[in-house]
Amino acid sequence: MVNLRFNLQPAISTLQHTQIQIMNTFKFILSLSMTIVMLLLMDPRSFYGLGFHEWAGLTLGAAFILHKILNWNWIKKVTMGFFGRCKPRVRINYVLDVFLLAGIILIILSGIAIARTIDFSWLNLGGSRMFWRIMHTSSSFITLALFGIHLGLHWKWVLIRLRIKKLQNGEED
Amino acid sequence: MVKKISFSILALAILATGIYAFARTNYWERSVRIFSYDPEAGLNAREGHARGGIEGRRIPGERSGSGRPDFSQLPDSVRARVEAARELPESGRVNFRDSLRRQSLGRTRIEGGRPPLEGGFRDGSGRGRGEFPAGKSINLRNVKWFLAVFAMFTVIAIYLDKAICLIRRKNKNSDCPGKS
Repeated sequence: MVNLRFNLQPAISTLQHTQIQIMNTFKFILSLSMTIVMLLLMDPRSFYGLGFHEWAGLTLGAAFILHKILNWNWIKKVTMGFFGRCKPRVRINYVLDVFLLAGIILIILSGIAIARTIDFSWLNLGGSRMFWRIMHTSSSFITLALFGIHLGLHWKWVLIRLRIKKLQNGEED
Repeated sequence: MVKKISFSILALAILATGIYAFARTNYWERSVRIFSYDPEAGLNAREGHARGGIEGRRIPGERSGSGRPDFSQLPDSVRARVEAARELPESGRVNFRDSLRRQSLGRTRIEGGRPPLEGGFRDGSGRGRGEFPAGKSINLRNVKWFLAVFAMFTVIAIYLDKAICLIRRKNKNSDCPGKS
């Protein structure tokens, strides 16, 4: 029994490694798609008009939630130890992520309030149209900047995914 | 070394393009506009989408004041067009002289910058004041400026991160931890 467990260990380790690789590739493709869609959404008229803008915006919101779910372990770990043994860099990443989440929520909320091709009138969000419109523009501009900073702080991870940089010993993948 | 220099040049080029795009898209003004939003002023606002523009971005050739320009100051060609428009028949069509119509059509094409957009909204109805033209084509002219700003923020973050790591490594002689 002991021998069997001993022999299975490398196989399990390889399987876990493959799973991590697949997950990371999926995360990378998701992040890349989100970046491209976010850029296309910055000008509502640039890519197949307002219909695309609204549906893609909602999809981006869903993708963002999926991105958070995929990184749930990290979120949980940092939330628990935010004021404790967290490193400053991790704290900065966490705060940035909170701002990004707030930005995305504001974009979607204001987008719903000013939507034209999808009927969200039943939500009765209130407020003037002008307010929501300015909120939509401002929040999307700030969020795009935060997205850029987020990518910059994860640049090493991107290079590893693109196989430009190799993983160093002791680094988490 | 050559690799480092070429990356530095690339980063500088991205930064320069980003700064230009930042200014061109009125990025800062449009980002912080929500913090200076006045609900009462918003109701009376004549700028922005209500006039077919985008918040904080002045439409090229648009008047800065809210009042109408002095009629006598207008060029003869424009004055003739305005006078012709005043004689608007009930049908809503103006019988411009041929030369004026040609001039007007040509200018619309040039100033518009992109072909007339088709496509309607929820009910497929018209595009009156405040309506947003829904395009059926791909025009990534503005997207490239946003990409430039995005890339600029990324490059700034990368180099700031590197600089902080270097400073910390020098001060504490400890390696910089990575996330993800």
